[in-house]
Amino acid sequence: MSDSPIVNEFNQGPISCHAFNGDRTELAICFNTNVVSIFRKSGASWTQTSTLVEHDKPVTSIDWAPKSNRIVTCSQDRNAYVWTLDGASHQWKPTLVLLRINRAATFVRWSPEEDKFAVASGSRCISVCYFEEDNDWWVGKHIKKPIRSTVLSIDWHPNNVLLAAGCADMKARVFSAFIKGIDKKPAPSPWGEKLPFNTLCGEFSNGAGGWIHGVAFSPSGESLVFTGHDSTITVVSPGTGDIQSIRAPYLPYLSVIWLNENQIVAAGHDCAPHLFELKGQQWAFSASLDAAVKKADVGFTARDTFRRMDSRAQSTTSTDTEVHTHHQNTINSIRSFSGTPEHVEQFSTSAIDGKLIIWNADSISRGLGNLHL
Amino acid sequence: MSQTCDVDPALLEKLEAFRFAKRSKGNATIICKINKEGLLIVEEHDQDNLSIDALAHLLPDNTPRYIVLSYELKHDDGRQSFPLVFLYYSPNGVKPEFNVLYASAKTYFQNKVGLGKVFDLQDSDDLTDAWLRAKLLK
Repeated sequence: MSDSPIVNEFNQGPISCHAFNGDRTELAICFNTNVVSIFRKSGASWTQTSTLVEHDKPVTSIDWAPKSNRIVTCSQDRNAYVWTLDGASHQWKPTLVLLRINRAATFVRWSPEEDKFAVASGSRCISVCYFEEDNDWWVGKHIKKPIRSTVLSIDWHPNNVLLAAGCADMKARVFSAFIKGIDKKPAPSPWGEKLPFNTLCGEFSNGAGGWIHGVAFSPSGESLVFTGHDSTITVVSPGTGDIQSIRAPYLPYLSVIWLNENQIVAAGHDCAPHLFELKGQQWAFSASLDAAVKKADVGFTARDTFRRMDSRAQSTTSTDTEVHTHHQNTINSIRSFSGTPEHVEQFSTSAIDGKLIIWNADSISRGLGNLHL
Repeated sequence: MSQTCDVDPALLEKLEAFRFAKRSKGNATIICKINKEGLLIVEEHDQDNLSIDALAHLLPDNTPRYIVLSYELKHDDGRQSFPLVFLYYSPNGVKPEFNVLYASAKTYFQNKVGLGKVFDLQDSDDLTDAWLRAKLLK
């Protein structure tokens, strides 16, 4: 496995969201349009195999359930579709899910057991949807109180019941999304004991205030990290009562994941993934995982030069506007690619520059001694 | 007038008895549902002397129901009456197929049983004593 990140350029426009299937041979990706494209890995590149056409407005989020192989997409058209692969025809068949929201859906994620999914929306609520066998119908229940603004991102706790939500009202919250009949009573956790649906288990804000763009539970579920538009990362551990806010001297992060219990990677407007580590009891910024790009990595041919210019809408070949990171524009999504949740080995980032890059977490931690900003 | 569903004859008899029962205290209710297979309106629950909150808990989240309720109403001037109320419960997020099925049979059922007071209910949380009183005393 090469140490340098694997760059996939699609040249179809900015990537709004992406999701890999369980064995990472297929990729569902949306280029800021109403359509989701499915690509299949062939050698070192990706070939398009099908398109999911159903939404009327841009698709805002995609999630692919690894075990049950179902895709859920949500869009600004206030709908979500669950796509199942029809074995015989190898076509993806959509099923509409009525979310009953009156604003755009912003984010969607399958629960760890893949029996429910949560959709964040601009109508100040989260729709937790589950399938009812008797009626052959996806039912959505709303988590409304006390959300005061658009919910921007969501993460599920490993116990399949708790749900973290980052919101534009500058608060990160943890709710219980317990559905009677689908979930069994969860084991008591530091977040709470008796947890009927819509119980607020915790509400946190960052220092200066700012939209909460990304939330993530730690692999064990004991801690929660959230990133705010005030360029802070906050780690909360209700078990110990510990709340640490790290103000990073960089642009705000939009998305965040845990590599393991002691390392967090966040990426956003700085166009590079940044690593935060737990040293002793203190969380602190460690390094940017993207050293300046050596010119050898980027294509040298005239074709590549003009293609790069086109993707950045440049009219001259001047490199004044070139950023010295792999991604040339804001990273809006970071997802784990390989490894277990307790030890992520590779992670993928997609950005507005239309590139999808797969990074190695191991090589990064090995080279950390040399990296500094 | 054509109908989509039939009423179970046993249920009809029960409703007759229910209507003319002498009441002195408490609420009584019969909750009816539609059997999709036979397209028959049958009884689901029959309970005497329950509170309105208990009735709200009996309602499922995901399918509509017809509720025939004998409600103990205390008027402002001290009188007590036991009006017969028909509640059409149709929560949000129901499969449209069900909505249409229940809505189409609603008027037929109403006429068959001879109920005058009909109220629509969207959410089981709305079903409270205060709500019922407001509706009945208008």
